[in-house]
Amino acid sequence: MSFTSHAQDPAHDAELRKIHVIQGQFHVADGDDVVLTTILGSCVAACIRDTALGIGGMNHFLLPGSTGDEGLRYGVQSMELLLNALLRKGARRERMEVKLFGGAHLFDGLSDVGAQNSAFAEQFVRDEGLNYLGGSLRGDRARRIQYWPVSGRARQILLAPTESKVFATERRQPIAKVEDTGALELF
Amino acid sequence: MPASSSLTCLIVDDQQTMRSLVRTGLQQLGFRTIYEAPDGEEGLRQMLARPIHLVISDYNMPKLDGLGLLRAIRSHPPIQKTAFIMLTGRADKELVQRAVQFGVNNYLVKPFTVGTLKEKIEAIFGVLA
Repeated sequence: MSFTSHAQDPAHDAELRKIHVIQGQFHVADGDDVVLTTILGSCVAACIRDTALGIGGMNHFLLPGSTGDEGLRYGVQSMELLLNALLRKGARRERMEVKLFGGAHLFDGLSDVGAQNSAFAEQFVRDEGLNYLGGSLRGDRARRIQYWPVSGRARQILLAPTESKVFATERRQPIAKVEDTGALELF
Repeated sequence: MPASSSLTCLIVDDQQTMRSLVRTGLQQLGFRTIYEAPDGEEGLRQMLARPIHLVISDYNMPKLDGLGLLRAIRSHPPIQKTAFIMLTGRADKELVQRAVQFGVNNYLVKPFTVGTLKEKIEAIFGVLA
């Protein structure tokens, strides 16, 4: 498994084209110099790539799978759109490998949305027969994730507990409707 | 007023998760006989093998996509009048227009609620009992 938790390498990072994936969005890329990034609390990000084609993507969903009016915030819709975007670019399911991150439980005493998101993501990968390499789900700390879509390398930086609390407080603000997806950066 | 329990439905989608969601919605509406297929080819094979009243099909699928399945159904006289609802994403207006040209009965934009699913089906069959 190629995800690590160590600090970034500033010299190497300066050469990278970083694309930040905010909640409710996904992004597919195929450049060696591209790194997809996101910050996760109870949300989950799926990192999926085609091992032969050199293409991959990341999504970031807020709530587990359901039909509803919140669009990409729901995992099932987010996962489908990411998979379809990869398939349209020539990726094949049997060559895909998946890493999952996020799903933390940041506040005691509140419903554990992170656990629900994690369970949904794991179940989705199983149901769809995708090759699940692992990742880092659940726990009680927010995460900063970097994912190289061509190589499949992933890097996780756990935020300090105090940062996680601030992060979670920000995330508890009212969320935008689906029409506003992509136009609102909450952190 | 048709009884939903008397209607047979075929869900065609390459994602098992989405098939399960549509199945759950149909069951909440009273459907009892629901079949599934992971692509258009398998969907067409099932349609030729058993009576189907309603097809709910995704567009993006391997082998034979939703539009291909729709065209195949409309060109097979024994099944050409089968009701067909296309599942689409929000940005697929062009797809919907092409599907209308090929005889789609209705379309369902994802994500959808059970209420919307009911409306789309009732627009074809009338109010469900």
